[in-house]
Amino acid sequence: MPAPVAIDARRLGQAEHADGLRARNARIAIGAPVIVRIRRSDDGRLQEFRTPYQKAMRVLDALNAIALKDAPDLAFRWFCGSKMCGTCAVRMNGREVLACWEAVEPEMTVEPLRNLPVIRDLVVDRTPYERKVASFEPWLTRPEPYPGFPEPLSHKAIKNASKAIDCISCMSCYSACPVIRLGSLTDFAGPAPLVQLGQTALDPRQDQQQVARALSHSGIFNCVSCYKCEEVCPAHIPIVSGVIEPLKAKAVQLVPQMARHPLAFRAVVARRGRIDPGELILRVQGLRVLAVIPRLVRLLLRGKINPLRTILGSKTPAAGAADRILNKAGHP
Amino acid sequence: MRILRTQVVIVGGGAAGCYAALNLHRKGIKTIIVCKGLVGKSGASLFAGNLVLSGRTLGNTEEQARNTAEFLIKYHNQFLIDQEWAKRCGAWIASVYYPELEEAGLYFRRDNDGNMVVSPGKIRSIAANIQGNSGVPFMDVRRKQVIKAGIETVEETVVTALLRNADGSIAGVFGLQVLTGEYVVVLAQATILATGYSDRLHARSTGTREMSADGLAMAWRAGASMVNLEMQWWHTNDVAYPPTWQRMQIYPNPMLGSEKSARMVNSEGEEFFDQQKDDPLAFGPYTVQLKALAKQVHAGKARFTGGYYAGFDQCAPGEVEAYTTYAKVYNQLGMDFPKSLIETAVTAHYRQGGIDVDTTTMSSSVPGLYVAGGLGGHCNGLIALVTYDGKVVADGVADNLVNLREPDLPDVQVEQERERLEGLLVGAGTGDAPCAPGELKESVRAVMWEKAGVEKDARSLNEGLEEFSRIRRELVPRLRAKTAVRAANYDWLDAIDCLNMIEAAELVVLSSLQREESRGPFMRRDFPETDNENWLTANLLHKAGNGYRFEKRDYNLSLFRPDFARANNLEVPW
Amino acid sequence: MKFAYYPGCSARSTCAELNVATHRVAAKLGLELTPLESATCTGARELRAIDPVKFYALNVRILALAEREGLPLMTICNTCTLNLLDAHAAVCDDADLLREVNGQLRDEGLEYRRTTRISHFLWVLYEDIGEEKLRDLVVKPLTGLTVAAFYGCHITRPPGRYGFVDSRNNVALERLATLLGCEPIDYSGRTECCGFHTAAHDERIAIKLTGQHILSAKENGAKAMVTPCPLCHTVLDSFQKEIEKDLGQKLDVPVLHLPQLVGLALGLSANELNIEKHMVNFGVDI
Repeated sequence: MPAPVAIDARRLGQAEHADGLRARNARIAIGAPVIVRIRRSDDGRLQEFRTPYQKAMRVLDALNAIALKDAPDLAFRWFCGSKMCGTCAVRMNGREVLACWEAVEPEMTVEPLRNLPVIRDLVVDRTPYERKVASFEPWLTRPEPYPGFPEPLSHKAIKNASKAIDCISCMSCYSACPVIRLGSLTDFAGPAPLVQLGQTALDPRQDQQQVARALSHSGIFNCVSCYKCEEVCPAHIPIVSGVIEPLKAKAVQLVPQMARHPLAFRAVVARRGRIDPGELILRVQGLRVLAVIPRLVRLLLRGKINPLRTILGSKTPAAGAADRILNKAGHP
Repeated sequence: MRILRTQVVIVGGGAAGCYAALNLHRKGIKTIIVCKGLVGKSGASLFAGNLVLSGRTLGNTEEQARNTAEFLIKYHNQFLIDQEWAKRCGAWIASVYYPELEEAGLYFRRDNDGNMVVSPGKIRSIAANIQGNSGVPFMDVRRKQVIKAGIETVEETVVTALLRNADGSIAGVFGLQVLTGEYVVVLAQATILATGYSDRLHARSTGTREMSADGLAMAWRAGASMVNLEMQWWHTNDVAYPPTWQRMQIYPNPMLGSEKSARMVNSEGEEFFDQQKDDPLAFGPYTVQLKALAKQVHAGKARFTGGYYAGFDQCAPGEVEAYTTYAKVYNQLGMDFPKSLIETAVTAHYRQGGIDVDTTTMSSSVPGLYVAGGLGGHCNGLIALVTYDGKVVADGVADNLVNLREPDLPDVQVEQERERLEGLLVGAGTGDAPCAPGELKESVRAVMWEKAGVEKDARSLNEGLEEFSRIRRELVPRLRAKTAVRAANYDWLDAIDCLNMIEAAELVVLSSLQREESRGPFMRRDFPETDNENWLTANLLHKAGNGYRFEKRDYNLSLFRPDFARANNLEVPW
Repeated sequence: MKFAYYPGCSARSTCAELNVATHRVAAKLGLELTPLESATCTGARELRAIDPVKFYALNVRILALAEREGLPLMTICNTCTLNLLDAHAAVCDDADLLREVNGQLRDEGLEYRRTTRISHFLWVLYEDIGEEKLRDLVVKPLTGLTVAAFYGCHITRPPGRYGFVDSRNNVALERLATLLGCEPIDYSGRTECCGFHTAAHDERIAIKLTGQHILSAKENGAKAMVTPCPLCHTVLDSFQKEIEKDLGQKLDVPVLHLPQLVGLALGLSANELNIEKHMVNFGVDI
């Protein structure tokens, strides 16, 4: 059913900002100056350069031109220049991009990735990420002997792992993740290590005990589902829906003690048809809620919580449908 | 300075180097990989688009098996290959390579019904996960195998010199850790150079940033013999702009699940090449494409630097995007896919020649120095072939380890090398007009592109040598990094790289002068014929005192022989 | 203008004021809302991460209920919206999935034919009411109200699948605010994450994610914030005291639900819009 007024509300802002790849590749005239401000690590300043625009110029072309002409001491990493090695990721105008893949903007601020130690200028230390990946035992261990080439395997069965295999470990998502930015507050491994884990953990041929071991120290339920990882992934991997959520599903099966929140959520919905936040919190936190009684009182006074409804376990008109669909035989 | 000791040191963390390390590890031999980039994430191995099915693998017919062998010997190496080696290599690939990779977890693309997706035709291929991107998961699996095996890796570390024992055999390597500016020495009984085939010596090159012919130059300095350095392959379909995408290929190969390939049109919109029509046996048709392009250039309808276009406008978009990444370039530029064609240009690609090796052991002519992969002059690169090299070199080293001495630390050489490198760093900005390393690199590449490009002759080649002499005389003595910062100083690295590039470029030009014929992608304006009478031979380059000498060595032609004595190279269909 | 109406769970419990405000504003706008009484929870982030097929079944059921009424579906919560968009897209792409899901709905006599239009209230304002009509309905321009818009993640990401633009380029809320007479404020948190979906087991994440943005809004001159999602509202408003403690300073930044902002400009009183139910007092003179 189309809307009466011919405007696409979801696309508001696209025209104003000349969004879209065609527009972004046509923004500047050949020879016009591209203004590039680069974060230098010796004193933290933004150093400004100008370089003439070349046809289809990428951020990396600008960096190379600047290094050649003005700043040979500029430190930035790249190897392949063609979106395969994943080593040239930087932040351009605040957004994580692959320098070799992204078109230049007429004015750009270029900074190193976040959440990783800076070695110099735009070069960051990959070690924290590599260590996390290695801690997941990121290789295939077959519980059954290999049946021979070609082994029975359908694309459908390995679809999610196949998407994860597109990962070039550029760490853009790791930089964009707001939970990783909170540092040691949580044990969340971060989108990039989880995608690497997903390459084998979502592979039907993998030893499930190895998957369980990895998941048990992944902090996976601390993903907030903000999709910032998907927003920056140059390989367009559906990190949340195609990797993290399927891994969460595996954690529910293999390491249920991690999955208190989702299991409690499902229990509440299955019984009542809709969420009762009070019951959810009680199930997840248990007696810990006693520590916040003053807050509960404040919430109660404003009518934000309904302890009676929580305690009585009242069902909603949706309870029947939820029970039918969620409690049918065959659910995990 | 770190001093490491091991049994075998491998320089290079690509397909050949990693596989050599894994095989040595399986034999209980201690190995260290020193990689200028990141193991499995740098160099050319990542670029493998798809994987050719050799022998009778996966339902290949007898004819297809023969076609693959013919492709390897004729189209891929222009007969400049030991055909017995080719047989051994093909047999190993057909029996071990694919099963072993799949057992390790590499996912060869299936469809939803479980059938392997194949590119059909006279030669068939499959892909790891997706065509156009097979090298990425392939090398990722290798990297993780190396991690699992606990093999020590020293990454982002450039090996700058081979260290020698008193008897001239190789004692190990001297390196610079680029991220910290600290030095490292790795002493070993055997040193394997696996630094790759493509050296980024030309203005347009598929070589990645870190490639600067280090392996070639260091081996030459140590006295190793070279072979066929003039045999330079070219991509015809690499994107013309931006500069960083000079290695972004519009792959001309058959596509998985389709009977079509990309096509090429000249500046007047006339089609002049489509692999499916023009040469279905040339599975990787680079040379045939190049010849077709050369004819267009001669007719004024294209240039080697652009003015011709490639694309998939004869395909349905789903056809290309189902199993390949080939649309990515067009999409990223906001172009209309598959309607739009993109301007392409020639880019220097594999160098078929390299260090001369004994193909039964992969030993070079210098004791203790081995070679694996594209750096060797025994065959043109391809990920399966260089993996085989990794196996052979591991066997070769293991069998000979008992004869290779455990080295002493050569203090004097270490100190000399350290001083040399410090000299390229310290004194930055002092003295008269320093020569900027980045600019010097560009100059070397410009010389190679203009004087030793696709079409060359004695005059251009000699002019090239003169240019290099001038560069050595006037610019090299002033070569300095701009600042003396030690951490991640890529300018310093450029200075170190420059010298290897000049050394290797000169050897390539000298070899080019020596081969007086045209053969496949090696095109001489002054010798336009392929001369199987005189030049179906290895063009060996030996060190002799402070100079050099050339030597010819015949190839065995046990499986295939060319069917003509002399012919115009552009008319030869391979 | 008739819509099937799906308020979600938060608007029926901890953010009940949102449901009240929506009904009152809908009446003013001439939107007739048909509730889907038996519609279940869409599953937030939890159900999809346990069993995707059951998640799709619950959501497709909601879409089928709307389809049976022959009406487009209006939502007032970001996560509900994303879940429904996801389910619709999934069964449009995958005929096998549609078959399986419809199989679970057959007993109720429901069958989804993939025709339901899903529209968040924010989009309804632009697409079904239109800016011109909305402008005409404004009787009390909110002059002097500097407002910082907090879009939330689930109507701005993920890119590429649901017609969303680059999240940084969203202007719908600012444009709407201007139309209502407000002055929109630029600040750090426009399309950042509130952290709600981990709050049940670790609210420190939500507190630390959101605090800096409320502070940024305040420092950039915002007298209030507005959000189209009750889950974001729960963090921004109900957790604000905890956030103040974590930051070590007072904020006192009131947070309005989107329909409340619209309602005020349409002449409804703060009481009618249940703004007094919020944890942070509104107290702004407009």
